[in-house]
Amino acid sequence: MKKSLIKLENVWKIYLMGDVEVAALKDVSMSIDEGEFVAIVGSSGSGKSTLMHLVGCLDLPTKGSVFLDNKDISSMRESELAQIRGKKIGFIFQQFNLIPNLTALENVMLPLEFQNMDGGEAKEKAMALLNVVGLDDRMHHRPSQLSGGQQQRVAIARALSTNPDVILADEPTGNLDSGSGSEVLSLLEKLWKQEGKTLIMVTHDLNLARRSQRQIHLKDGKLWSVKT
Amino acid sequence: MKIQKSLKLAVNILLHSKLRSWLTIIGIVIGVAAIVAIVSIGEGAQVSVNERLGGLGADIVTISPGFQRATGNFRGFGDGEGSATTSQKNLTNKDIQTIKSVNNILFVNGIVSGRADTSYLAETASLSIQGVDPLAWSNMITTGLSSGRYLNSGDTNMIVIGSRVAASTFKQSLVVNRDITIEGKPFKIVGILESSGNGDNIIYMPIDQARDILNKSTDYYDSISFKVADASQVDAVVNETTQRLMISRQLLGKTQDFSITSAQAIQEQIQSVTQTFTIFLGAIAAVSLLVGAVGIANTMFTSVLEKTKEIGIMKAIGAKNRDIMAIFMLNSALVGFAGGVMGILLGIGISTLLPQFLGGIAGLGRGGITTVVPLSLVIEAILISVLLGMLAGAIPAYRASKLKPVDALRYE
Ligand SMILES: Nc1ncnc2c1ncn2[C@@H]1O[C@H](COP(=O)(O)OP(=O)(O)O)[C@@H](O)[C@H]1O
Ligand SMILES: [Mg+2]
Repeated sequence: MKKSLIKLENVWKIYLMGDVEVAALKDVSMSIDEGEFVAIVGSSGSGKSTLMHLVGCLDLPTKGSVFLDNKDISSMRESELAQIRGKKIGFIFQQFNLIPNLTALENVMLPLEFQNMDGGEAKEKAMALLNVVGLDDRMHHRPSQLSGGQQQRVAIARALSTNPDVILADEPTGNLDSGSGSEVLSLLEKLWKQEGKTLIMVTHDLNLARRSQRQIHLKDGKLWSVKT
Repeated sequence: MKIQKSLKLAVNILLHSKLRSWLTIIGIVIGVAAIVAIVSIGEGAQVSVNERLGGLGADIVTISPGFQRATGNFRGFGDGEGSATTSQKNLTNKDIQTIKSVNNILFVNGIVSGRADTSYLAETASLSIQGVDPLAWSNMITTGLSSGRYLNSGDTNMIVIGSRVAASTFKQSLVVNRDITIEGKPFKIVGILESSGNGDNIIYMPIDQARDILNKSTDYYDSISFKVADASQVDAVVNETTQRLMISRQLLGKTQDFSITSAQAIQEQIQSVTQTFTIFLGAIAAVSLLVGAVGIANTMFTSVLEKTKEIGIMKAIGAKNRDIMAIFMLNSALVGFAGGVMGILLGIGISTLLPQFLGGIAGLGRGGITTVVPLSLVIEAILISVLLGMLAGAIPAYRASKLKPVDALRYE
């Protein structure tokens, strides 16, 4: 029996736009097991990113609870949340979100440096990871000198650097052509299988979603269906 | 995150910042430059004032005929050629007696001065002569001897000469025991003074012979100087002397017709000139530093805004609030540091040029003031600018650190 790693209980996220309340998530409950590969699908504006931000401790729910390792994230202080983001969670974004003025290597080292890892050790680790994603010859390039696919691979290396339990990928192939998109997905799949990480991926692409173990469909902020 | 990593990121931000943000450094640059100029000129002025007046001693007071405001008085100070103004009553033996009656005066030296043709080995030059009371003069002079001796009471046809008279008046340097001719009369050099910046061009001789050579009557003095027993009593003695002279010269109820000046007073005047500059530059420094700090704060706010997304990314990958705070504070400190370094360079530049004007104004002549840039000043200036940078960056950095991760990430 697998252990539940992430649990949402009646989660609401309500944004206030002036006087108007916009509910991005409406009473969502779900559980994700350790080592699971879950795809989150749904049309634009259905609340997928909002969900990812809650799971990734970047935001807190308006109502309801989000549990990580059976701990309610609403009860934690900002510094604890930062600690979890740094150690337990690896983010991959649609926009790659690398720091533009740092090289690929420096970008991958950054999460380790936030964890106070020694400089030499961080460098070694980052180099090994860039090797894994096939960019050992691009270490000293800046993001602007890399293609989209390459940038996303740097982002994957960065997400893996602190050896997190959970990888959160918000439309990781959304800005890539189909070729580099499937390359990136293959890489993520490989990591999931080999490293036993929990992988949660938001995607539009139903073909990509089909490669997951479970598809969670959001519609208008509500949990619509779960397909295994 | 370790401090050196935060510093590295701060340097990275600084190096990639736009020209516009470098321009806001100018305020700090000018402010620091002004401070450096103030201090180095102030210190330099102090040094040269002490050098110049050192030869006179703070306990020496000089009286000359004609009432002049002291400001005009120190222009020609030290030449010994009393810059007499209006045709006032001369200084006389009676005045010497009056001064001698004042308490706490150690020596009184009556002086006549003028120029006389001096020849040596077929060369002739017009030189400054000072006739002095040999005993009083020998006890009052603070310039040392480079050779020979001072004048003794009872010396006749003997002179002591300033260092420049000895070294650069005639083709051949003058040495002790050489005879020179002044207005046709032979004199023997018994002493040569060290260079002091004060009286280097003067020939000193007993007053009787000077009167003879300069054709001055026996009851006439161009100036009288006296030495006060203790430098701290100078003001009191000056007041007392002034009062007694007013009485003996029958000037009660009339205007003073003599000037009485102490080296202390001159020193104070020179200081007041440099003080004016200090206040002027100080105001510039204060305003510039304020403008500079506001400029840096403004740039930091802009920079934080521009980097909102990056702040969100860093928070998403584990940056704590204090990491973000440190990065931006250090960035701002570095801006201050850069401004400080440039300011010091500019300040040193200004302080080497400004004395050219300042020297003229203070009556010390060109190059009269040298500037001094102490190492402690450089360190303090850098500290001030770094501190100012951090102060200016504190609020923007705090704001950056408190950004909510999602909001920052969603920022476009
Ligand atoms: N900061 C915010 N303020 C107001 N509305 C927001 C904010 N963030 C997201 N929303 C709204 O919440 C809804 C869900 O957004 P999002 O989770 O980004 O959708 P998805 O990722 O599925 O496209 C949208 O209607 C969006 O406009
Ligand atoms: Mg989205």
